Amino acid sequence: MTLAVFLPFLFAALCAWLGTRLERRTGYVAALAFVPALLLALPLSGMPGASPALEVTRWVPTLGLALAFRGDGFSLLFAVLIGVIGTLASLYAVAYLSERERFGRFYAYLLLFGGSMLGLVLSDNLVVLFGFWEMTSVTSFLLIGLWHTRSAARDGAVKAFLVSALGGLALLAAVALLGIAGGSTTLSGLDVEALRASPLFTPALLLTLLAAFTKSAQLPFHLWLPTAMEAPTPVSAFLHSATMVKAGVVLVAKFGLLFGSSPLWGGIIVPVGLATLVWGAWIALRQTDLKALLAYSTVSQLGLLMSLYGLADAEGRFTATAHLLNHAAFKAALFFVVGIIDHETGTREVPRLGGLRKAMPLTFAAALLASLSMAGVPPLGGFISKELFYEAMLHRGPVFIAVAVLGSALTFAYSFRLLRVFWGPPRHPPGAEPHEAPPGLLVPAGLLALTALAFGLLPGSAEALTRTAQNALNFATHRGHLKLWHGVTPALLATLLTWGLGAVLIGQAAQVGVLGRRLTPRVNANTVYYALTEGVNVLSSRLIARTQGLALPDQLRIMLGAAALIAGYAVWRAPQVFHPVGTPPLALLPVAALLVAGAVGVLLARSRLTAVVVTGLTGFGSAAAFLALRAPDLALTQLLVEAVTVILFLLVFRSLPRSRDLPRTRWRYALDLLLAASAGLGATLLVLAGVRFLAPPISPYYLANSYRLGGGRNVVNVLLVDFRGFDTLGEITVVGMVALAVLGLVRLGKKGRAPGGGAPTPVPATPGEKEEA
Amino acid sequence: METLFALLIGLLIGTGVFLLLSRVIVRVVLGLSFITYGGNLAILTVAGLREDAPPLLTLRGPYVDPLPQALILTAIVIGFATTALLLTVALRAYQVAGHDDVEAFGDNLARDPEAEDGLIADPEHQGPDRPDPEEPRTLVYSARSPGGGEP
Repeated sequence: MTLAVFLPFLFAALCAWLGTRLERRTGYVAALAFVPALLLALPLSGMPGASPALEVTRWVPTLGLALAFRGDGFSLLFAVLIGVIGTLASLYAVAYLSERERFGRFYAYLLLFGGSMLGLVLSDNLVVLFGFWEMTSVTSFLLIGLWHTRSAARDGAVKAFLVSALGGLALLAAVALLGIAGGSTTLSGLDVEALRASPLFTPALLLTLLAAFTKSAQLPFHLWLPTAMEAPTPVSAFLHSATMVKAGVVLVAKFGLLFGSSPLWGGIIVPVGLATLVWGAWIALRQTDLKALLAYSTVSQLGLLMSLYGLADAEGRFTATAHLLNHAAFKAALFFVVGIIDHETGTREVPRLGGLRKAMPLTFAAALLASLSMAGVPPLGGFISKELFYEAMLHRGPVFIAVAVLGSALTFAYSFRLLRVFWGPPRHPPGAEPHEAPPGLLVPAGLLALTALAFGLLPGSAEALTRTAQNALNFATHRGHLKLWHGVTPALLATLLTWGLGAVLIGQAAQVGVLGRRLTPRVNANTVYYALTEGVNVLSSRLIARTQGLALPDQLRIMLGAAALIAGYAVWRAPQVFHPVGTPPLALLPVAALLVAGAVGVLLARSRLTAVVVTGLTGFGSAAAFLALRAPDLALTQLLVEAVTVILFLLVFRSLPRSRDLPRTRWRYALDLLLAASAGLGATLLVLAGVRFLAPPISPYYLANSYRLGGGRNVVNVLLVDFRGFDTLGEITVVGMVALAVLGLVRLGKKGRAPGGGAPTPVPATPGEKEEA
Repeated sequence: METLFALLIGLLIGTGVFLLLSRVIVRVVLGLSFITYGGNLAILTVAGLREDAPPLLTLRGPYVDPLPQALILTAIVIGFATTALLLTVALRAYQVAGHDDVEAFGDNLARDPEAEDGLIADPEHQGPDRPDPEEPRTLVYSARSPGGGEP
């Protein structure tokens, strides 16, 4: 199992590398990556009786993280399903893709996705499960946005990612809650009793549902699935029929064993699933683009699966698993068929197509089998699972069966709409001569269509497959069987009613179309999505324009104001503990006077020369303070730096304009005074609160070892060059870089003007330039 | 003693912030210098001011804490580098823009709120299954709002 999950990832790298050499034949290599997944069918055959296998690779034991793969019947069944569809999609793509496609990237993404999906269904560790869940979101983002030069593909990819990432966050929270409440990070190790008793049960349930609904495109999160069809058709077949969108269904199926006891679980899932069934089918009926039709059909069928798993009883799980298999077979086949039609005629628009039956009889046969299975017509697999669906809904009540019949009638109708392109007078876009597809396209479609037929003609085969999951999903006690003829039952009568309704819908297509247009709500999930994203976009743009676009002082004011508010709140919440004041030694008073004089002087200075000189006063003052505070090295450095700085200022002044008075507006002046005062106050409080806060200091170590290890008696120097040598090296680097930058800027100024700049008149270099008083 | 220095540091930082908010470039640079002074003194003060000997082992102990001194030594030099760089940038800004008014420098990084992002995916009509369409897509896309049309 571990191999099955990781081989696709390895092959993804291989395909990315081989893509430019093998071109489209990379697909054959890609198909090989699914071999271990297909081999999982062998342990599956013994599944109804055997106990699940567990493969654990330790990863981060302290966090309870382990790559635990649990091969129970359901997981293995699904993994084989992914393997089969993945292989077929890879092979189909070989014949399907355009010459201009970048094959390496395409197959790499496809395999990354396949591997993530396998990991998702096989994972037993909840955290790892979440990881794979997110990886399917990311890789499907890459696949949908494969043709990233198209803005529509980007849009579809972003939409799919945003919606499924929302669900991913919910799943993360749910996994965390489950881990806390259930006392284990593995799905099979959760303490179900403790979980049910825990107050975290309901939040975890709701979050899990949110994750499942977003991933499986349930109302109102179905918006991303149709636009995700911007990906190439083989990808659509893989992602959106068989695997990714079923991840949510898998989640509901597996977690249903934990949550199913709660009435909330079925109480939410079943109505949402049924609503999605009907709504998806209703919209699918109105589509003219075949791929869009299939997309909405998938939404609808996922609703059906959801509602069945949501029943959380043995019958529901049995029926859902059977339908899961049927759906994978017929839906992937239909995607392949639509791909063939698109490939041969260049369009998927129903009104532009007709009479393809004669030109492509084999494609027609595959389409017929798959569509009839979807419509629920005997003797195909879809019929049987639909009958069981009716049975299950009959047990729930009259409302449920009514909704189910309505949804199925709509399904029946759109299935025939899909087939319409094969009947009637021959019609196709000019320039295209439709003829039978090459075997590379036909075989995958045909195989799946025949599977749909086999599930119907030999119900035993489908039942055997379904039964493999009976222990994992806890429906071993259910006595139901898959049969084509099960007598005249209410379910059969409901089926007849469905066909009648469906026939009416087909016959009155024009009126239905009018009704459909009239019933289309002006506000749907898509418009809400665009309103939201657009709103966020505009809001952030406006916010940035208001804050980031400002001149430097205003930006600083905003930042300082925010800092003042936050720090003020902190001071208010935690009143500081002041240290004893102590009498200031008289020797320090002149130093203090120097500092104060400098600060006050610079505020009062009208000329910039005075300001610089007064600043120098403060600099010398702080050097004096260092001296008084027993830091001779600092005093020396400060003095030197101060002297150089003043010289630097004077040098620059030669080239700067005469100083002007640039007054601030009155409210800005007040605001600045306030900000400066609060900054000063904040600094004072911080220093008072921080005095001797960091005890015990590391300094005694330096004092003791300075001579022994560094061979120097000036501890500060030894610290800088020995103990913290790298720090000093970094400092030197900074100074060096600044020197280079200064040099560059200065030379730039000499040579010429920057483009677009104003034309400053070089100020004559008169040393005694007069300053404004 | 710490209290006195805390007040002094507050004064220096406050002065620095006030200068930093000024419109004249040179004052902004001076403001940064004041903040540097305040910061350096703060490091020293927070470590505790004591009347011990300087950390020169030739003298008799006990010694004051050498670590903050080492930190400040680095800080002084970095502060000087910053000042030098800022001054040069100010000079260059003046040469390019022709004035030294900080408030006149502003740059709007925001995306134009009215700008179009391009076509949005239409659930009812997907794009053709070709990597890069040679010609623009001919299908009509629904606009963001159901009312407006977008070619």
